[in-house]
Amino acid sequence: MSKNKILCNKGTVDLSVNDVTEELEQQTNNKGSKLELTPANADSGLAKLVLTLVELIRKLVEKQAMRRVDGGLLTEEEIERLGETLMKQEMKMEELKKHFNLTDRDLNINLGPLGDLM
Amino acid sequence: MIYAILSVKKNPGKLNALLAGIKGLSGVGLYAVSVNKITLAVCDMNKAEIIADKSCAIEYAGIIETLAQQFTLLPVQYGSVMESTDTIKKMLERNYAEIQQNLLKVENKFEFGLKVFCDSEKLMTELEDANETVQKSGSEIKNSVFREYVNQKLKEHRREEMLLSYVDSIIAEFTRLLTHLNTINKIKKMASAKNIIDAVFLLKKNKKDEMVQAVKDFQSKYPRLNFILTGPWPPYNFVDFTLK
Repeated sequence: MSKNKILCNKGTVDLSVNDVTEELEQQTNNKGSKLELTPANADSGLAKLVLTLVELIRKLVEKQAMRRVDGGLLTEEEIERLGETLMKQEMKMEELKKHFNLTDRDLNINLGPLGDLM
Repeated sequence: MIYAILSVKKNPGKLNALLAGIKGLSGVGLYAVSVNKITLAVCDMNKAEIIADKSCAIEYAGIIETLAQQFTLLPVQYGSVMESTDTIKKMLERNYAEIQQNLLKVENKFEFGLKVFCDSEKLMTELEDANETVQKSGSEIKNSVFREYVNQKLKEHRREEMLLSYVDSIIAEFTRLLTHLNTINKIKKMASAKNIIDAVFLLKKNKKDEMVQAVKDFQSKYPRLNFILTGPWPPYNFVDFTLK
């Protein structure tokens, strides 16, 4: 982005043109999150795709559950059961990520102009 | 290759003179293809010759920018190619009404981009300090490990909700401030952890200074956020139609 296009850039967060450019490039650069399926990596490529979807659904379920807890819609017993389920799901996900050598970043696909998946 | 769709209501000679002075990508000259009051700025290029890299895209944007300084236009995506001037004219005839509607919407207007950055972790902590509900969730811990787990997740959830609600309030306040400028807005929240607001505004060319002032005022009011206003840009984000 050329400097003469910046009409206003002040504030306590110290951001140079380069910082902003870097941040924007990070938002639009989805190299790291592309699903590169080749015959050589068919297993891990597919695992990345499947785990991305599973993680997205898991996070959505977790979010909805927290809304219900926050809204006081669950009994103590239900909260206890929910905690156990969510905890076990998270542990299982960690296990699977480790098995396929994937990180959280790998599962957070960049959707270009829509931002990150999670 | 097509660069832009322009509204040329009078004085087409002015556009021809401008196009004659501009060199397109790879030094290929530009010319106009018109149907009634709508004109396309184009150059002769094979699809195979188009290089999809950053420098070409920037050069392409620069050409659109030059045209936008003098004409109302709709920018066309880099790499848009049609077979012949005949095909272009037929496409223009098919889409005439929608193109004209879009040109009318952006007439004498420019796009401005506003990005708001902050250290969202720090901001959430500050908001949390000022909020009793979130603080309280930390003290709800009971013996069970599962309950502790839920409490931790609940705390994170409340922090995120608090940040979202803060961002919503900033957006509402800023858009209220812009009401008198009659802007058309497109606003996205939480584009990334740092970029909490990513917005584009379409407003009259002569309202630029008022927009800059509004952002400066807001910056003074919210010093822990970083407001970056850019523009004027051609209306990249305000072309709303699909070619038939």
